[in-house]
Amino acid sequence: MNASDPTDKDRYPTLTDAGRRMLRHMIEHPAAPTFRNKSGNRLTAPEVEALRDFESETLTAAVSWRPCEPPHWVPEFMQQVFADVPHYRTLGSLPRRFEDVPTVDRGDLAADIARFVPDSVSTERLINFRTTGTTGQPLLVASHPVVAARYLAFHKRALRRFGVTLSHGRGQVGVVLLGHQRKCFTYVSVTPSMDESGLAKINLHPDDWRAPEDRVRYLEALAPEVLAGDPISFAELARLPLTISPKALISVSMSLSPGLRRLLVERFACPVLDVYSMNEVGPVGVFDAAAGGHVMLQPRLYVEVIGNDDRPVAAGQRGEITVTGGFNFCLPLLRYRTGDHGVLVQGTDAPVIAALSGRAPVRFRGGDGRWFNNIDASHALASIPLSRFGLHQEVDGSLVLRLAPQELRWSDSASAALQSLIAGAVLRVDAIEQPDKFVQYTSDLDTALA
Amino acid sequence: MNRAGPAIETLLRRLVDIPPDFLDEPRLEVGGRVHVAALVNDLAYRHGKRANAVALSRFDAAQPQAERNRLALAMIAVWLLADDWFVGAQLAHEDVLRVLDAGVAEMAAATPAHKFASDPDRREELVRSVLARLGFRPAQETVEQATDRLSAVSSTERRRLLDASRSAQERARAVREALVRKAAEESADKFTRE
Repeated sequence: MNASDPTDKDRYPTLTDAGRRMLRHMIEHPAAPTFRNKSGNRLTAPEVEALRDFESETLTAAVSWRPCEPPHWVPEFMQQVFADVPHYRTLGSLPRRFEDVPTVDRGDLAADIARFVPDSVSTERLINFRTTGTTGQPLLVASHPVVAARYLAFHKRALRRFGVTLSHGRGQVGVVLLGHQRKCFTYVSVTPSMDESGLAKINLHPDDWRAPEDRVRYLEALAPEVLAGDPISFAELARLPLTISPKALISVSMSLSPGLRRLLVERFACPVLDVYSMNEVGPVGVFDAAAGGHVMLQPRLYVEVIGNDDRPVAAGQRGEITVTGGFNFCLPLLRYRTGDHGVLVQGTDAPVIAALSGRAPVRFRGGDGRWFNNIDASHALASIPLSRFGLHQEVDGSLVLRLAPQELRWSDSASAALQSLIAGAVLRVDAIEQPDKFVQYTSDLDTALA
Repeated sequence: MNRAGPAIETLLRRLVDIPPDFLDEPRLEVGGRVHVAALVNDLAYRHGKRANAVALSRFDAAQPQAERNRLALAMIAVWLLADDWFVGAQLAHEDVLRVLDAGVAEMAAATPAHKFASDPDRREELVRSVLARLGFRPAQETVEQATDRLSAVSSTERRRLLDASRSAQERARAVREALVRKAAEESADKFTRE
């Protein structure tokens, strides 16, 4: 161990004997996987107290803005950002209108993230989250232990929408985060604001376990209140002969297909939340079919849907999701283009992003010369429980549907579901070769961008 | 600065009274409203000349976001140079364009443009700089007085900007080092992971 390596005191400043027992339980269980890494909440006692206040505010505050009407806090926020953030200072004077603020995108952050960190934020406890997104462009997102811990408040808000209140505390496991990758960051920790309930991040890939069946034994022993993961890890989870009864499953990172959601709901008999979340912004919205899309979760996040001219698109039109505000005080966002697309509508209790999809819309040419877009393709395949898929059009007009290797059994039904769209175009099904994130919709045709 | 110009108070007053349209958003590659090249051309016309396309291209709407502050200050300078005194002074067309281009670019490098309209010291700096670049000094001032005063208003600001820029560089380095040093995965828990 290096002298500068963090100690348990650094990782868990408020750890009690009960927390220590929980850590030991998760690490030393006979069926435990190999934990490859270490992490911790890093929260001091005053920060834990402040988090409780933040949580109660987050749970009670309304998301009160309406589409195309910036909320009351935006002018002051703009002023702070233009005064305190180097990137904005170099842009000059504060624009008089919100919609005149030039947008920024992932490329701007990736070019030099330091220019987006406010001068008032101390570097002492600055941390980063590394992300590659769907473009593969690496990005370090500036963050702080308190920012990381605030995620829980938004998840509680999302869970409450579906009638779930978290109650696991001392001696119980609150959440298990699932991965299913060849290489995965794994660790155990405790959540101080939940009376040190356990948190484990595990990899369901068999290579991380002494025996593949230990995955079931371990999850049964932990009996977590919530399981969090992505469609890939949940598809694997559904294949395991588990009898646990979590209160909810929370899916992030990629869109969860209706088919897989249905399968998971039936399999675990609990709500399955599809949370639209990204490292740069945190949890933005939770999917609610009754509301018609992803319902906004952050009271201090304003969302626009804009066109290429940086202006909001007309009501009901599709555009790029662009965010302002947020809870990460290390990275205050002002008109940040997320790269994701959707339609903004007013819901009954909060604004809603309908028809959410990552990246710019792509259109495909059917065999009859008519075009269909990526949303059409997503709809056509919605009922099939795929953890992910990709669609690509070759320059000769033929189409390639890519499925996860273990889901190739769905090839025939997926091909059949696409027939009316592709209208006679040649379609073949391949396995997804890159196990990590890949671009879902691509085309070699020059006219493919919708 | 060999020639006596107008009373400085008149020009300072003009900046105080700048119409809101001259503080609007310059048109850029993406966004903005005011075509600054058109404003510059109108100014040249008011001075009895026409600006050529090459000169105007420095102010056109193809400019990237990074040029926003320069164009915003050019708009303020256009308002200043449209004052009757400047129009009657028979200024060389090239000198006017040089003020709007290089002169403005230098001042806009690190000071938000609208400060040159809202802040008394920056107003004075803008007026004195424009007069000096055109070979004038304020009325009732000797060359020495005008030189000293311009140096005082601009050197204080330059010093401030230099300090600010130095500390900005140090700060950026510290942030980058802190981020690289601490991978969050080693240091903070999230309830979910994107």
